[in-house]
Amino acid sequence: MAGAIIENMSTKKLVIVGLILLLFQAFSFMVGGLIAPSPTTAVHYLATKCVDSVKAHHQGKKWFMPWGPYQCDKIRDFDEAMAKRIEANNIVFAVHIPLPNKEMSPWFQFMLVILQFDIAFKMYNQIQEGAVATLDVGLAYRDSTLSKWTEMAHSVEKRKLNCNFTTTKTVENEGRYYECDLLPFMELGSVSHKYYLLNIRLPVSERKNLNVGIGEIKDIRLVGIHQNGGFTKVWFAMKTFLTPSILIIMIWYWRRITMMSRPPVLLEKVIFALGISMTFINIPVEWFSIGFDWTWMLLFGDIRQGVFYAMLLSFWIIFCGEHLMDQSERNRLSVYWKQVGPIVFGSFCLFIFDMCERGVQLTNPFYSIWASDVGTELAMAFIIVAGICACLYFLFLCFMVFQVFRNISGKRSSLPAMTKARRLHYEGLIFRFKFLMLVTLACAAMTVIFFIVSQVNEGHWHWGDYTVQVNSAFFTGIYGMWNLYVFALMFLYAPSHKRYGDEQSSAGTCYCGDQGGNSGEDIQLTTTITHVDGPTEVYKMMGKESQE
Amino acid sequence: MTGLLNSQKEAFVDEVLCLVSLKLFTTPHYCRPLSMYLAKLSSVGSISDEETCEKLRGLIQRQVQICKRNVEVMEAVRRGAQLAIDECQYQFRNRRWNCSTLDTVPVFGKVITQGTREAAFVYAISAASVAFAVTRACSSGELEKCGCDRNVHGTSPEGFQWSGCSDNIAYGVAFSQSFVDVRERSKGQLSNRALMNLHNNEAGRKAILGHMRVECKCHGVSGSCEVKTCWKAMPPFRKVGNVIKEKFDGATEVEQRKVGTTKVLVPRNSQFKPHTDEDLVYLDPSPDFCEHDPRTPGMLGTVGRYCNKTSKAIDGCELMCCGRGFHTEEVEVVDRCSCKFHWCCYVKCKQCRKMVEMHTCR
Repeated sequence: MAGAIIENMSTKKLVIVGLILLLFQAFSFMVGGLIAPSPTTAVHYLATKCVDSVKAHHQGKKWFMPWGPYQCDKIRDFDEAMAKRIEANNIVFAVHIPLPNKEMSPWFQFMLVILQFDIAFKMYNQIQEGAVATLDVGLAYRDSTLSKWTEMAHSVEKRKLNCNFTTTKTVENEGRYYECDLLPFMELGSVSHKYYLLNIRLPVSERKNLNVGIGEIKDIRLVGIHQNGGFTKVWFAMKTFLTPSILIIMIWYWRRITMMSRPPVLLEKVIFALGISMTFINIPVEWFSIGFDWTWMLLFGDIRQGVFYAMLLSFWIIFCGEHLMDQSERNRLSVYWKQVGPIVFGSFCLFIFDMCERGVQLTNPFYSIWASDVGTELAMAFIIVAGICACLYFLFLCFMVFQVFRNISGKRSSLPAMTKARRLHYEGLIFRFKFLMLVTLACAAMTVIFFIVSQVNEGHWHWGDYTVQVNSAFFTGIYGMWNLYVFALMFLYAPSHKRYGDEQSSAGTCYCGDQGGNSGEDIQLTTTITHVDGPTEVYKMMGKESQE
Repeated sequence: MTGLLNSQKEAFVDEVLCLVSLKLFTTPHYCRPLSMYLAKLSSVGSISDEETCEKLRGLIQRQVQICKRNVEVMEAVRRGAQLAIDECQYQFRNRRWNCSTLDTVPVFGKVITQGTREAAFVYAISAASVAFAVTRACSSGELEKCGCDRNVHGTSPEGFQWSGCSDNIAYGVAFSQSFVDVRERSKGQLSNRALMNLHNNEAGRKAILGHMRVECKCHGVSGSCEVKTCWKAMPPFRKVGNVIKEKFDGATEVEQRKVGTTKVLVPRNSQFKPHTDEDLVYLDPSPDFCEHDPRTPGMLGTVGRYCNKTSKAIDGCELMCCGRGFHTEEVEVVDRCSCKFHWCCYVKCKQCRKMVEMHTCR
């Protein structure tokens, strides 16, 4: 990969390109910060306690509505149930999503529900060690307030209660609540219906040891999280805008490469692959989720992101490797198996983990890999392996960057002694490497900084009358940034096809005397340099010179 | 400076009250938590239509209007009042004044008609309980406006589908502010008692707002924290009660002073550091609550109260009985033991009898 546009461009043009990219960058932050609302909303639900009084109803698959017309027989608390001699098995916790007078919408993209038990401490009815709650859950939907409920899913789920009581366990403190961990409850990959109804039972059976020793449950609280419709719209708009921009530059880039006399080198292919994976993320297939009930969209989104991350990480390794300047032949993917291997393996682990969690959720939305002990261990194993792979990768990367810098300083000292073509070749390599290094570090630092800010910050800042949604700005800004990164990469690292003539006219400085001697240099270079491209080498040299 | 802050606050919560003062009683700034009256209505049945609002004793005209406009909320307000009484009795179970209620209309009798610490507690806990109960009602879908109501500050104008609704707690607190505080506000010129009540009401609500638990869920790629959603969960009401009780123990005695044109409450002892918005304030020292006073309904005295012989604190026999001494008798207590429970509605116990020494105040 010799003679990239970046080297042949004048500093002035480079600055202009940089400014334009910065402008787009600022724009993408502003879109998220000023137009979009916060990315997600959490809605609190308190389960209504319904009484399943008539057994016959139960057989006919009855759904219990917490409010509105045909609402169930409610009880306020369980003292009332005690007085009315209602058994635990006849109590149904009903939650209607959303709250009254609202409708869910496909723009919400996904919905996940968190479950929390309010369990009061009672001296003689404490939560036993390792208590597990067994929930008999049903989910139904309907699209108009008048129609019948249609069952979507039904399952018997187990959730481990991780509760602790922070004060001393004395009679004095009876009635205080345990502090329990949030329990993952449900995850829907698409919100294609307007109304959802959850019916939760906690069946008790001493014989089967079901729901025994789970303390005195006072309430069940749910938190429903979904993406904000406004954010989805802004996000889609951004994707729809970015797809053609990346696609066009990609086609342009590939045309340039095919126009050359030599076959494309590895680095050029990797940059192209990066472009493809970026486009893969960009293509706004999510538009279909508005019209179709595609629950796998969430999983698909994960896969797309995973592919891009893996590609980006591989690109960095290969880019470093191709700029090592240690005279050994690379230009083959197999040379990098040690570095790319961990990436592929780590991504594969995360993919398996994601399939186990979100893949199974396609059939059973209540499934959680964290609910069972085996599942938790398995999930942890996958994540730990992926973590090790990530560490391994970064060690390799750091080592490689270190090597490159070592070689650069080595080459620096010997540069003046080299022939012009060689010197320019190395200078070009060093310039390209340093430029990308700088940009990549800047992008990575931005990502990390914004990630930390969005984690620590409460989500929005007020500036006078303006509310800036920091989290949304983070998502759109970082997404825009990596798009611009890939865009700039394909644009600036595309092979330049300035010819002798162009070069001379644009160069400004005369090189007449030098050209004759070049052929000799070239021959010499082909033996030492990995992928030399005869003519490019020459004009590169001239371009470099012209910049100076 | 304080005066400025205070006036800003007043403008902010501009329709607030002292929970309840009654036409029944004569003193003009005779305020008692309104919810305390509502709680008494639990026997009346549900507050379901606008006409019931007229019949509620203890509401002032503006509250009746609010009631009519928000009939669906009143049921929650009533529940909140009950919650406040229960919590008050729990927190004060070991004190000379044990928050006992009367069957008469001002449920606490005349005990809280003076600006005492106890009155401060009752106002704070009632304002908090109304906010708490309304917020809960929102979450269970009983109310239709809640977080998406545009009358409540903090709502997104674009609506639920664009950006979701604001938290229910904002509605609960705003409702408590408008309904509970309107009593104090409606009288025009604020008396010092009204100022105290307003302050304590706000302190009660702050006890909830200041102890909201932030909970988060990560749900990015493979459940990573790349995407994280956080929300605020309301503390259990027992926790709110504990907080307000702590504020009760450290309440500041204040007096009214004029700063510029506004009246403010400042600590009577200038050595003390000024109270914050979360602290309770009171104007008058409390009586000792030792003797039954027939002229003061609710002043029951401590005769006949159980006490703890070994304790040196207020629940100990020495202090509880105000030095009058105590009876000791041995009583057979039937206790539940080796019980089997289900999570709800089922208890099977053996009865265990044991002899216990009980001490009662003379």
